[in-house]
Amino acid sequence: MYESVKELVKDAEEKGLSISELMIQQEILENQGTRQEIWQRMEQNLLVMQDAAKRGVTGKGVHSKTGLTGGEAVLLKKYRQEKTSLSGDVMLSAVQNAISTNEVNASMGVVCATPTAGSSGTLPAILFTITDRLNLSHEQMVRFLFTAGAFGMVIANNAGIAGATGGCQAEVGSAAAMGAAAAVEAAGGTPRQSSEALAMAISNLLGLVCDPVAGLVELPCVKRNAIGAGNGLISADMALAGLTNKIPADEVIQAMDKVGKGLPRALRETGIGGVAGTPTGLKLKMKIFGKKVMGD
Amino acid sequence: MVANYKSVFDIIGPIMIGPSSSHTAGAVAIGRAANKVFNGLPEKITVHYYESFAQTHKGHGTDYAIISGILGFNPDDSRVPDAINTAKSKGMTVKFIEEKEDSPINHPNTAIINLQSIDKEITLAGCSIGGGTIEVRGIKMDGFDIKPQGPLPIVLIKGNSTDKKIAEEKLNKLTQIHKFNRYSSSNKQKQMFEYDLSRQLRVDEVAKLSNKLPELIYL
Repeated sequence: MYESVKELVKDAEEKGLSISELMIQQEILENQGTRQEIWQRMEQNLLVMQDAAKRGVTGKGVHSKTGLTGGEAVLLKKYRQEKTSLSGDVMLSAVQNAISTNEVNASMGVVCATPTAGSSGTLPAILFTITDRLNLSHEQMVRFLFTAGAFGMVIANNAGIAGATGGCQAEVGSAAAMGAAAAVEAAGGTPRQSSEALAMAISNLLGLVCDPVAGLVELPCVKRNAIGAGNGLISADMALAGLTNKIPADEVIQAMDKVGKGLPRALRETGIGGVAGTPTGLKLKMKIFGKKVMGD
Repeated sequence: MVANYKSVFDIIGPIMIGPSSSHTAGAVAIGRAANKVFNGLPEKITVHYYESFAQTHKGHGTDYAIISGILGFNPDDSRVPDAINTAKSKGMTVKFIEEKEDSPINHPNTAIINLQSIDKEITLAGCSIGGGTIEVRGIKMDGFDIKPQGPLPIVLIKGNSTDKKIAEEKLNKLTQIHKFNRYSSSNKQKQMFEYDLSRQLRVDEVAKLSNKLPELIYL
């Protein structure tokens, strides 16, 4: 198992293999599956991601039980069709896929956690956007997920991926970093450029708090995935252009871990601080749960 | 480094019903661990929540997620959202308690599950560490007070030195044993062996082990 990004990149360079291939080989070796079994399981995950992204923009979209989120991916789709967007259609397709997926998650639909459910829109948004942009094959799409998983394992084992322990930086931040690194590989970049993209993506969202209104994975979680996707794509582009982060990926991951541990409990998925603690946030919480809620 | 995330599918996955991998899918996993330790369906379920779990379980569907696990469901089972009614219709009593103090196992996403029937009782302390992955940091059963380090998979075997020898021979063939612990029951008459493994075992591998060691629990 790879304990650091440095080890992963070094092994890829020495063997002349892609990160996705190293991940597949490690999975075969360490978890005793056949290549075919592992490949098919990842294809199944991809299918769930595609279904979720589609479901959120079909008809009137999906709506959560609380009414806090839903139907906004449909608004974006319409806006893309009718207006000239400011950030460009490639970026807005990422935003749409991210929001669509997370609206499905908030409405208790089926998603694939990448790495978590709260951040499940970020990675597919990056993947589907570059699939259209670069005409990726089905095989390249599946490989993207293995590459993202390889980097995600290093982040998860060294820092963590739970909002309750590390804040949103550990969820949407990690998802953006995984997506950035995998996008670099899909675009023909080197393993080293993948690690630079990862380092930039985490650095860009370092310190992001986890402050869900009423403790629900809705506000501001759904739209944070849009920012995660945008951040991932921009970080991948910067790395492909040859920009470097100067602070190495492994040190950035360590920094994220330390920042997470330093966050007060109110900003780690308790629904107390941040936007959850605003007058409107508290009012929404009262409306949903009534008086019998702790933490007020 | 003790790696909690041992497979690419711990990161890309699980496929699950929303909205939270740690508070929903992870809660199902903690419930499933309790189900395996109890080995059957209980009559009385009591769940104690701490910290983030205590604050946000209602919004995340943690209640029905934990009960789903106790009933043996998977996180993507469509019966998950209706699990509390299912449990009640089977005659089980279900109670959730929001604890005010810090988690006794030192993690913000902590649930301690107590399961009872006429002739047995178990308590399992689990925490959900993100992305649907969990740790089990305490189990009380049959007079044993088991305190694993946390990361799964864990194999528990109740038995004598012959069982221990068989277990080690079989497990060493399959994978690496990270950590070994031995526990004595409160009346000192029985022994329990705990093995922390370096990879998840496949269903067929667990079935083969259970053939030789009927008292085996695989978490």
